[in-house]
Amino acid sequence: MAGKIIADTLEHSTAGSIATNYVVNGVEKCWVNLNGTGTIAIRGSLNVASLTDDGTGDYQINYVSAAADLNYSSRAVSNQYHCIITNGLKATSSNNVRTYNSSHSSDDPAQVNYGFLGDLA
Amino acid sequence: MTQTPDFKGTHLFDRLCWAKENLDGVQSDYRVVYESSIDECAKILVPDPNWMACALQGGILPPVWVYHELAKDEAQPDFKKHTRGYLLHETEPMPAMTEEEAIEYLIMKDCPQSVWQTWDEGNRPKMVICTKQQLPQTREWRNAWRISDDLTVAA
Repeated sequence: MAGKIIADTLEHSTAGSIATNYVVNGVEKCWVNLNGTGTIAIRGSLNVASLTDDGTGDYQINYVSAAADLNYSSRAVSNQYHCIITNGLKATSSNNVRTYNSSHSSDDPAQVNYGFLGDLA
Repeated sequence: MTQTPDFKGTHLFDRLCWAKENLDGVQSDYRVVYESSIDECAKILVPDPNWMACALQGGILPPVWVYHELAKDEAQPDFKKHTRGYLLHETEPMPAMTEEEAIEYLIMKDCPQSVWQTWDEGNRPKMVICTKQQLPQTREWRNAWRISDDLTVAA
């Protein structure tokens, strides 16, 4: 691609320097902000092909560019009481998020935010 | 219309970053409703607006068979890490699709094969493409949603 810069270190005039592998490895490889109320909708995203509405408070995020392995680190937050990443449903091409209200029942929040850090395939 | 660079050999994530900067997201009205298990409620596939923009633009997304190959690798009991990720980046990208073709591609990518390969076998359809206006407008009894038995299925 045009405009390619190859560098091992970035240096700021006063704040010091950082190795570019910190930047490459530390950047989220996928993020999505979705509305779980009404007709589910994606507000903003990167590296997301689709979202599967699996039921109340139950969402699967499907990636475009898959993770290299299952060791990637994913995180999810919502404006509900609990938000968990479901063990056993993680794949290199998707992940599952569930949200619960303060009564520990599945519920649909207005804000669900998900992302992951790790290597891409 | 923005011209897509020649992306063959460019990492797919770099292509997505280019698309994010250069293409407006496309909010599709289409939704895919499917039932993957008789014990579970209907699931609804929602296309991502940035992904839909890539599909309509062309020259960005890999062919869907690439995802199927990676899924086969991941299904192996000794799977540790993808060794054929290059397929995502080095395979000739898909040309521009219509919105309907993009939905068909997405079904084959993100719905279980057991659903889309046999969607019209059995007593009732397991999968339906509809518009979001045809879905219930509130999420009341969401975990009991099923595909209607009264559905007329186009041939």
